Amino acid sequence: MRQVAVVMIKMIKELLREKVALFWIIAWPILWVLMACVIFTRGLPEDVVQYARGSSTICMMTFALMIAGMTSIPGSIADDRERGLLSKLKSMPIRPWKDITGRILGLLVFSALAVILVALVGYACGARFSFTFVKIGQSFGFFLLILLTSAGIGMLVGTFIKNVQGAIMTGVGISVVTAAISGVMSPYSSLPPWLQQLARVYPISSANSSVLYLLANGEEAAGYNPLMGGRIALTMILSVAIFIVGIIIYSKLCWRRE
Amino acid sequence: MEAINVERLVKKYGNNEVLKGIDMRIDEEEFYALMGPNGSGKTTLVSIIASVRSPTSGNVKIYGKKPDNAKELMGYVPQENFSSPMLTGRENLLYFAGILGYSRSGAKKLVDEILNKMGLSEDADKRVSRYSGGMRKKLEVATALFPGVKILILDEPTTGLDPSARREFFGLIEGMKKGLTILLITHIGADAELADRVGLMDNGKIIVENSPEGLKKGSGLENVLNVETPIKSEKVAGVLSKFSEGRVLETEMGYRIYNKEPENITPEIVRVLDGIDCKTTKIEIIKPSLEDVFFKLTGKSMVVS
Repeated sequence: MRQVAVVMIKMIKELLREKVALFWIIAWPILWVLMACVIFTRGLPEDVVQYARGSSTICMMTFALMIAGMTSIPGSIADDRERGLLSKLKSMPIRPWKDITGRILGLLVFSALAVILVALVGYACGARFSFTFVKIGQSFGFFLLILLTSAGIGMLVGTFIKNVQGAIMTGVGISVVTAAISGVMSPYSSLPPWLQQLARVYPISSANSSVLYLLANGEEAAGYNPLMGGRIALTMILSVAIFIVGIIIYSKLCWRRE
Repeated sequence: MEAINVERLVKKYGNNEVLKGIDMRIDEEEFYALMGPNGSGKTTLVSIIASVRSPTSGNVKIYGKKPDNAKELMGYVPQENFSSPMLTGRENLLYFAGILGYSRSGAKKLVDEILNKMGLSEDADKRVSRYSGGMRKKLEVATALFPGVKILILDEPTTGLDPSARREFFGLIEGMKKGLTILLITHIGADAELADRVGLMDNGKIIVENSPEGLKKGSGLENVLNVETPIKSEKVAGVLSKFSEGRVLETEMGYRIYNKEPENITPEIVRVLDGIDCKTTKIEIIKPSLEDVFFKLTGKSMVVS
């Protein structure tokens, strides 16, 4: 446990002190929430505007988690490899799963901070949610699935892209493009039918739709009902599968004794 | 007692044989330097000893155990600056102490002691990004000095350090030698001269092992003529090679000439270089270095500063 704890603490401190991470994971989503609240939802009818702002805020909370998992994890893996820290760790009595667990927990704490700040800014700008404690608990579970999926993709990127800049830019690219085409950064209803199918299967967008369904305006905000039994199961299975594949590939390839 | 025992070690990457059957024994508390040019296989060899890479064939034993089972006994300091620049020196050491399993309170006390020993106490709470190259390297060596470590493996620790930082660094290592077996990887002869024994490595093999003095004596070199010139060219090297028994070694500032009677040829060298418009900036007779020995044995040069 001590090994996991020190890796987690190191990850949190590095993220809190890294201006680029602070900007992309916290400031950037907040900027979008501000723009959505002040510019994009202007002129909407009074009964719609609060939920529209709520939807935008939820989508930016998702985006913060995507960026955190898909850029911080690969950036940190590539940086540790380039700086020789991975070689140093391989020579020490620590197992890969403890290292990655510490990294994920550190990311979880940091992204929880990001999500709370984005939600607070959204709320201050007029976003409203329809919530109960049960719905908040369920939403927390979906946000966790988003983070697991993003971290899984991040571990794959960090394992295969050796260069730090390359790993970070690939992570940014995957998160921005998939957010745009799967209904995270655009309304589900505006997507062509084949992308709507993708949005229902891609665990990040389906988990995001589930949170929208729970906390925003039900099917009106989500575009469909993502909370049907089979869909929730598919989202959970795919999220956990991507995460596990990421851990296995990272442990096998990055920690391999060549 | 044998601290490190390497037998018939082979490492291949595809068809490229990087290590070609290395045999090496290092005794407990011995300071052993492995010296060779870039690409000779030094780093591959120590990374196998440190359990970072695996061999294609052959055996490595650390106090009789496989490297994987002896990680607690080894402190490996890779060539790169692996400490986190975003953390302070103290935070970096606390992280490594935690990786080694020390409790929070135990780690704090120990880290204070290590910082003090390394002369880093005053800068312990500065971020590593504000450290000089020498301070950072000292911090990284400190990560390998927790109690229980019996073998310190240093891979090119002075790369990028200026001469005074190098002297300070090795002064520190000298003070810590007691109770430690040190394996130093270097391509700098002056660094290797501090060791009890030096292994010269070339093309995946250790070609000779001895004390620094033993290597120099064994090479038959007595004196070397060091010529510094403002120009380095094939023409200058060609002219100088006529005075050398064997080839001339190119250095950072000029050339080294091997001749049994250097004092007799010095005036002639100055005259001949003048004749081709290449004024000699400095010419001196010096004792041979380990780079000279390596050059004599292999005909290959390492950068001589």
